[in-house]
Amino acid sequence: MVMGATASKLEKALGDQFPEGERYFGLENFGNTCYCNSVLQALYFCIPFREQLLEYYSNNKNVAEVDENLLTCLADLFNQINSSKKKTGVIAPKRFVQRVKKQNELFRSYMHQDAHEFLNFLLNELVDILEKEGNDINDSPGTSSQAEQNANGPVHLRENGAKKEPLLTWVHKSFQGILTNETRCLRCETVTARDETFLDLSLDIEQNSSITSCLKNFSSTETLNAEDKFFCDKCCSLQEAQKRMKIKKPPNVLVIHLKRFKYIEQLGRYKKLSYRVVFPLELKLSNTVENADSEYSLFAVVVHVGSGPNHGHYISLVKSHNHWLFFDDENVEMMDESHVQTFFGSAQEYSSNTDHGYILFYENLSVGN
Amino acid sequence: MASPSSSMNPPTPALKTYFKSPEGRYKLQYEKTHPAGLLHYSHGKSVSQLIIAYLKEKSASQGPSAPSTPSSSSVVKSAAARLFVGVNGTKTFSYGGTNGGSKVASGTSKFAGTFGAGSSSSPVAANYDGKGTYLIFNAGDTLFISDLNSSDKDPIKAIHFSSSNPLCHSFDSEAKDGHDLLIGLQSGDIYTVSLRQQLQDLDGDGIFVVAHADGNLYVYEKSKDGAVDPSFPAIKDPTQFAVAHARSSRSNPTIRWHICQGSINSMSFSIDGTYLATVGRDGYLRVFDYYKERLFCGGKSYYGALLCCAWSPDGKYILIGGEDDLVQVWSMDARKIVACGEGHNSWVSGVAFDSYWSAPNSDGNSDGTEENAVYRFGSVGQDTRLLLWDLEMDEIVVPQRYNPHGGSPTLSSGSHSSAHWDSTPSIGTLQPPPSMRDVPKLSPLSAHRVHVEPLSGLIFTRESVVTICREGHIKIWARPGDGDVSEANSDAGFTTATAKDRHVTAPSVKVNGSSYKLTASNFIRN
Repeated sequence: MVMGATASKLEKALGDQFPEGERYFGLENFGNTCYCNSVLQALYFCIPFREQLLEYYSNNKNVAEVDENLLTCLADLFNQINSSKKKTGVIAPKRFVQRVKKQNELFRSYMHQDAHEFLNFLLNELVDILEKEGNDINDSPGTSSQAEQNANGPVHLRENGAKKEPLLTWVHKSFQGILTNETRCLRCETVTARDETFLDLSLDIEQNSSITSCLKNFSSTETLNAEDKFFCDKCCSLQEAQKRMKIKKPPNVLVIHLKRFKYIEQLGRYKKLSYRVVFPLELKLSNTVENADSEYSLFAVVVHVGSGPNHGHYISLVKSHNHWLFFDDENVEMMDESHVQTFFGSAQEYSSNTDHGYILFYENLSVGN
Repeated sequence: MASPSSSMNPPTPALKTYFKSPEGRYKLQYEKTHPAGLLHYSHGKSVSQLIIAYLKEKSASQGPSAPSTPSSSSVVKSAAARLFVGVNGTKTFSYGGTNGGSKVASGTSKFAGTFGAGSSSSPVAANYDGKGTYLIFNAGDTLFISDLNSSDKDPIKAIHFSSSNPLCHSFDSEAKDGHDLLIGLQSGDIYTVSLRQQLQDLDGDGIFVVAHADGNLYVYEKSKDGAVDPSFPAIKDPTQFAVAHARSSRSNPTIRWHICQGSINSMSFSIDGTYLATVGRDGYLRVFDYYKERLFCGGKSYYGALLCCAWSPDGKYILIGGEDDLVQVWSMDARKIVACGEGHNSWVSGVAFDSYWSAPNSDGNSDGTEENAVYRFGSVGQDTRLLLWDLEMDEIVVPQRYNPHGGSPTLSSGSHSSAHWDSTPSIGTLQPPPSMRDVPKLSPLSAHRVHVEPLSGLIFTRESVVTICREGHIKIWARPGDGDVSEANSDAGFTTATAKDRHVTAPSVKVNGSSYKLTASNFIRN
């Protein structure tokens, strides 16, 4: 009943603007599990990801207890929220959190954890499970109850045998982008390009800068010389070279991690950078190989609250159906869009403001066009 | 060894007390601020804004001109308090078209937008004699008035608001009734105040416009009382521009312009009061024919909200800046973006033309048409820096006009990506975001970190550049004196050549990552 009272507050605030079929649920904290809760909320409101996961759930309803894994636990949790009769409330992600702790000893303690590390672990784990399932299906054709996963291009996968290409799962389809590392030998001018995939971009940050500027720095040209020369295949020797990273394929969901936790050698420990880094609600990538100009829109922010890396709290800001919501473990509140700017950081080092945007989630608006 | 705090962070270079430009050094003359310890609770909520007020001396013909109003020194008069309570808060406003349909010569309606005052080269400037020029800025819950020409750091007057924080303000030197200062509060309330009365001494018509965070702009008549409940029809489609006149003739505000969804962040009247430019959360610059109440032209930012706008003194160009870190130049003739300035490392929060700037040797050309005009402008950003730029218009305009190849990239108007380079968009339409490949790039002449905090505005005066940061600290940078020029020229560290060579100061264009000076032929090939 107590929950009912807080729940109705949000429902009242939204009134008849409460989006149809949408659910806003807080997540219970089991002792420093806010790193997990904040990331889960951001992922739940990543609509392509949620839809795929719910579809996975309906295709795998009858999985026996023994086959339980992180993916089925997450699918269960999302389904529990999505199919709830009530529009708002609190859910305890107990099974999911237990599974995380079972799987990875890093997250087993009650210590403060890094939300970005958790996101990384979770996405990679999901990819592993899906790839494994995809391969199993291919090894035993005919039993495919999941036709759409076969459609993900597994045909040549069998032909190539051991040297098979990795399966492109729906997790990849949402989050994966391709970076190309272009190195130009300053002697022969040959450009060597090497591609690598990413699920998120980790950016170095500077005081009083913008995400646009951090992305520019990420792609800025670096000269390899002195100790750090480049082995040019054409010159067959070490040469001075210029290197730069460009985005070859922009992802559908762009996850940007701000490197706010920096290792300070003199101190022998990590320190939190409270720099003010402004992030616009709309963004375009200018560091692409083709001038694609695809436009992104911010839909979630994981915020680190606190002055140091080893303690503090995580909350998340989420945009759903043009409303901004504030998720703090069990609590869910409406939030004005203009309030997002209070999470940019501090323009000066010592400030009472310790709530800083840490992981940004942007969706590509041109997807499907 | 270094102290722990300095070893933990890369040392921040100390702020200098000058910055260089091709014409010489701008020196920090003095600073203005407010009592310390004022801002603790309002961090991040209200941003300090700055305007300049030139209080004219009373002309002798007007006689003793004792204030006809009882000098009850009643400080504020609530103009429309009841109307706007509960709205998201006033964003910006502007005195406009005071003499309704008047021409340029009237010298009215000079005060546009939050920072328009400085960019107006009005005939009134003759009164600028070092007396009666005031800086007005807000910080926290207080509005401060400071004498520009006094080196005293502290404000001479503070107006404290107990109910809500002041966010924006505007000044009209032509206000005959003495209510020359408008103050907008976070609560959405608006106050009109007599600055003259506030400061010393003191007839009245005119209108003013107020823009709000809900995308509406209201026109007020100063002669009417604001107490009557205005009645406007409900907004049918919030995405559509619509002008509604109040149903009751007694209503004040008299007109509502619904401009866009989301906040209007800044607005500015052209010097003659004909056009009104607005920029907002939706990323669009809109230029309205103010008297016809119609959209004249406009276009979208590269991405993100636009935060500031300013007119050139001749009304031909508009500067816009915003969350794409760019300073863009909009041409009223071409009705599109004609140049794009890259140089800020964060959002651009203030832009202004330097109307006191005259290009060196600009009269030395035999073909001396106006198109060769060089414009100087400045921009400030959340990167704590002040950037100065030159815009040489013949080089920007010519490529379009004498395009021998008959077409640079042209896409259909339905396309999302590009501006037309061989056609002028029709009147009354909004342009899509410019394609960065097609727009000539500008590089700043100089870039200097001038404050510790992110900046929120700048104003050019005849003698100085005035900058203000979000926390309400002001710096006044004296323009280079004659003796400073040679000093700048001999400075090896300064990469841009002297301003005496007109062509060197031309904006450079950046195409495909390589930077070179913009020339007509280069541009056409692209």
